[in-house]
Amino acid sequence: MLKVMQNLDRRYLYALLILAVALPFFFNVPMTVPATQSTESLYDKIESLPAGSFVLFGGDWSAGTRGENRPQSEVLIRHMMRKKLRFALIAFADPQGKTLMQDIAVQFQSQYGYREGVDWVNWGWRVASGQENFLKALAQDVLTTAGTDIHGAQVATLPVMQGIRTGRDFSLIIDVTGTASYQAYIQFLQGPCKVPMALGTTAVMAPEAFNYLDSGQLSGMLNGVQGAYEYEQKLGIEGRATRAGLSLSFAHLLIIGMILLGNGAMLMERRQQKRASGDRS
Amino acid sequence: MHSSFFHPVTGIARFAWYAGAVAFSVLIIFLLQLVPQRFRRYVILSATFVGGLFYALEFLLPVHLMRTKADPLHMGNFLTPYLVPFGVFTQIVFAATVGLGVINMLQVHGKRLIRRGKDSAFSLAFLISFALMLLVTLLKKVHPNAINANYYRLLFDGALQSLDATMFSVVAFYIVSAAYRAFRVRSPEATMLLVTAILVMLGQIAIGILLTSFLPKTGVWHNLRFEIIRDWILRKANAPSIRAIQFGLGIGSLAVALRIWLGLERGSYFENQG
Repeated sequence: MLKVMQNLDRRYLYALLILAVALPFFFNVPMTVPATQSTESLYDKIESLPAGSFVLFGGDWSAGTRGENRPQSEVLIRHMMRKKLRFALIAFADPQGKTLMQDIAVQFQSQYGYREGVDWVNWGWRVASGQENFLKALAQDVLTTAGTDIHGAQVATLPVMQGIRTGRDFSLIIDVTGTASYQAYIQFLQGPCKVPMALGTTAVMAPEAFNYLDSGQLSGMLNGVQGAYEYEQKLGIEGRATRAGLSLSFAHLLIIGMILLGNGAMLMERRQQKRASGDRS
Repeated sequence: MHSSFFHPVTGIARFAWYAGAVAFSVLIIFLLQLVPQRFRRYVILSATFVGGLFYALEFLLPVHLMRTKADPLHMGNFLTPYLVPFGVFTQIVFAATVGLGVINMLQVHGKRLIRRGKDSAFSLAFLISFALMLLVTLLKKVHPNAINANYYRLLFDGALQSLDATMFSVVAFYIVSAAYRAFRVRSPEATMLLVTAILVMLGQIAIGILLTSFLPKTGVWHNLRFEIIRDWILRKANAPSIRAIQFGLGIGSLAVALRIWLGLERGSYFENQG
């Protein structure tokens, strides 16, 4: 029995994981959790911006990390819209980012009375390999470097860009990503233009980003779905992250449970073997 | 001087510039093809060196006040005005490399399909998917009606996004299986790793945080809350180690960048082509 507990067929594990992730979606169990310091700082940063401030929003994710990055993008865009901030969307890491971010902004714009071109703009996708050079140029001259939006309109002619000339005119930079794209923002835009920056990242990438939080180069951070979940609670909304929170908990508890099961069985087996060898001697 | 070349062009003149740019690019590619094989290495080396030298000098040379239309408080040197055209130029060059990548993919999969080689079914799937996505996207651009928008949505949301998300989700199954089999308390180090992993996981989920929510929000006992322990592990134990690794990586990247810039790097572009 102890051997079986240590070597369960992986198909049972897979089935348990499917249940742990899927079943919680059928139940609505509200859980109030305190926001971590990094989430709190990001919320406070956006709250402190006056209406009309301009935010550069990097959507550097694709469907692969949609589970974590989409709730983060949604909750941050909703907060910016609630605060009446202007924003520009841009993607480097993946061409999908352009379309995915456009969908989110369009989804919420009518709810907050936003109009594309007037309150927000999507600059589209730029090739990731040239991100550093593009950001260096953007810091110097936003309108010429950004060029056109995803509909082909010259961004210089759009009302949303009024008063935005150089990187120093940004009030905040946010990058939501499952990659290290935020590091180029820090090196070539945040630092040289002395603009505050925040990050939304997948839980697996977050440990690297804590260095930048400690150094003050990042003003706040959303760490995985949990970060978005905490942010939704700060905003008082029940979005994607709240719905996914219970699934996330159950999946993690399953992993912890299986680790404890395997180790418990191994330790008991060792004890039995010790006893058996003691009896023989 | 740079503003006479690098400024937005609209109207009919734009198409003349497009045609000129295409003709110029074709001429350059033609001239590059004429360069003997053994000299191509030096063309690549020169382009790399000039590109690197521009950014190095722009960063290192002293700056002074340079008023521009965009920024009256602009600081820079004589190279700074060229940052914008250089930034746009690199986007164009890299976009062209994406195009080269597409041509390469079509060549590789096309050949495999014609030869009916191993896994040619996957090549066929790639070519059909590529052609379909291209066709539907072009249709949506040229005739942006509801039908074409729905076709696009079907392929982008229904196929691409779902497949991409599925590919990534599969990792979760491997993690559960691997964690169950590999995380065993066989040594003090492994035990420490296991305890740390469990504490971080509990601090990362709502149920875990709620388990210790009865503890006070201030004082000594507050430090035993799972989310506080997780933060301590990530920020005090983990971050310094990562910082040290990043310092090493940074120095390594600098060395590699210097080798590439000065043409000292060994590799296909610098040796085999020569």
